[in-house]
Amino acid sequence: MDSDNNKPGNARTRRRYTTTRRLDKMFVELASVYRFIARFFKEVWFPPYEIKEFIKQCYEIGVRSLPLISLTGFIIGIVFTNQSRPSLADFGATSLLPALISVAIVRAMGPLVTALIAAGRVGSSIGAELGSMRVTEQIDAMEVSATNPFKFLVVSRVLASTLMIPALTMYTTLVSLLGGYLNVHQNELTTLTTFFYQVFDAITFLDIIASSVKSVIFGFTIGMVGCYKGYNSSKGTEGVGKAANSSVVTAMFLIFIEELLIMQVINAIRAF
Amino acid sequence: MSSADNKRSVIVGIFVFLAIVILVAGIFTLAGQQKRLISTITVTAIFDDVAGLKTGNNVWFSGVKIGTIKNIKLYGDSQVEVTMSIEEKVQQFIRKNAAARISSESFIGNKNIVIDGGTQAAGQIEDGDRITAVNPLNTDDLMEKLQQNNENLVAITSDFKQITSRLVRGEGTIGAILTDSVMADNLRAMVANLQQTSNRTVAASNELSRFTSKLNRPGGLANSIATDTTVYSNLKTSMAELNEATNAAAAMMETLESTSKQLNNQNNAVGVLLSDQQFARQLQRTMQNLETSSQKFDQNMEALQSNILFRGFFRRQAKEQEKQQEQLQQAQPDSTNR
Repeated sequence: MDSDNNKPGNARTRRRYTTTRRLDKMFVELASVYRFIARFFKEVWFPPYEIKEFIKQCYEIGVRSLPLISLTGFIIGIVFTNQSRPSLADFGATSLLPALISVAIVRAMGPLVTALIAAGRVGSSIGAELGSMRVTEQIDAMEVSATNPFKFLVVSRVLASTLMIPALTMYTTLVSLLGGYLNVHQNELTTLTTFFYQVFDAITFLDIIASSVKSVIFGFTIGMVGCYKGYNSSKGTEGVGKAANSSVVTAMFLIFIEELLIMQVINAIRAF
Repeated sequence: MSSADNKRSVIVGIFVFLAIVILVAGIFTLAGQQKRLISTITVTAIFDDVAGLKTGNNVWFSGVKIGTIKNIKLYGDSQVEVTMSIEEKVQQFIRKNAAARISSESFIGNKNIVIDGGTQAAGQIEDGDRITAVNPLNTDDLMEKLQQNNENLVAITSDFKQITSRLVRGEGTIGAILTDSVMADNLRAMVANLQQTSNRTVAASNELSRFTSKLNRPGGLANSIATDTTVYSNLKTSMAELNEATNAAAAMMETLESTSKQLNNQNNAVGVLLSDQQFARQLQRTMQNLETSSQKFDQNMEALQSNILFRGFFRRQAKEQEKQQEQLQQAQPDSTNR
């Protein structure tokens, strides 16, 4: 049916879509996203507050992700330090490794790695969970039973994600720095005190604030994308898979875009 | 709330608490390291060029980090005012006339400010003081100086090349020494002579040493001069008298000089007598005339003695003279007999 309408010269096609089918679809999607986000901010302030569900989601998103994210962060710290050493060794500046690791991990890699791994683990989980609830009409059932499914499912997950990703970022940053220290200590015999002195010598309060703000935004993005994709998944088991997959891809893409924009803003503040 | 829910809540709480602890610990460590939690004073310096210095860079004093750069702003006519936040506890060690210069933490490291110099007399810096800024050498200046050094080096090597080529050709004394075997032998002999001379000098210096030790022996003149206060006092008195005599001689010499000047002057009789040639010739002629006159007078006198009128007078005079001589001759033997 659609394919017939899209044929060139079809007058009905021109009347039915404001621009083109794809552009119209994209703008409709954007409007839907806007409504979804606006509904979140509308619902988040008023009771009933789903505390139990919120804590459960915090546990799932934060505590259950900690081992994976910590291990990843630790390995990244070691690998990044090891790969950076030859470049600095060319200048005879391996003593600057702690400063380099500090800037790289605190400013960028800590929040980014945490967000990407959380997007893969948490985003897909939320998308698949809500998608399957939509497919099995559990969300419709909740609406019928006078329970606000948006507040119970979406608000609790987005809030949990927004709170837990910054916490995970703190852990990841610390563990990555410890991984970096392990490698530096093995090669340069630097002490822990000296290492952390150089680490904190290279960063500023702005770096810590920027890292925290970034991780809050990343957490909100992961939760919101996962919930949106799952909550609005199409009917059928195929839609569940699509929702899970789309949650991860979209969340990761948005995280990189946000990283780019936030970096520009922070650099502008730093220069000011 | 079930026990599973309760356990989950506790774990989430611990999880969040630990994350907050990490964040707070990081913030406090950073604040401590950047000297944000201690009392500070503010000091400024005006630089012509800050060479990429940034807010937050460190301030060092005698190799110790004592503060950070608080603010950097353009000032006056293309100058830069740098405001430094310095620990209050090091205030007592930094002097008002200390200088701030821009340095680097390493070859590729951050820029920083190093405070050094100053004198105790200047007193310690106070909050809000402005210290002297030593402007850094920029790369262009360094390269320019390096280029000058290169040119000088080229000139030196070129001169050195000429010198070595002349040496190889045997020109000049050193060239001759290097190439002429006779010259080398002579030089060797000269060195041997020099060695002998040096040995003699050593011997002479030993003799001199012995001599001076004798001079220093108690009771000797030199020792008395050096140690005896009475001798010293006498010498001092003698020197004072000698000084007076010298002054008197100098005064006499001045008088003599003034007299000789007057003798050379033709305004007085003696000066005319000594230095006027015309007067000398006149005097000579006068003397000649006098001599001629005296001869003529002798002749006249002889003629007068022969004259019959005056002959008796001259004879009487001659007899009186003979008489006096005889009396004298008689008186002399008497005195000898006694």
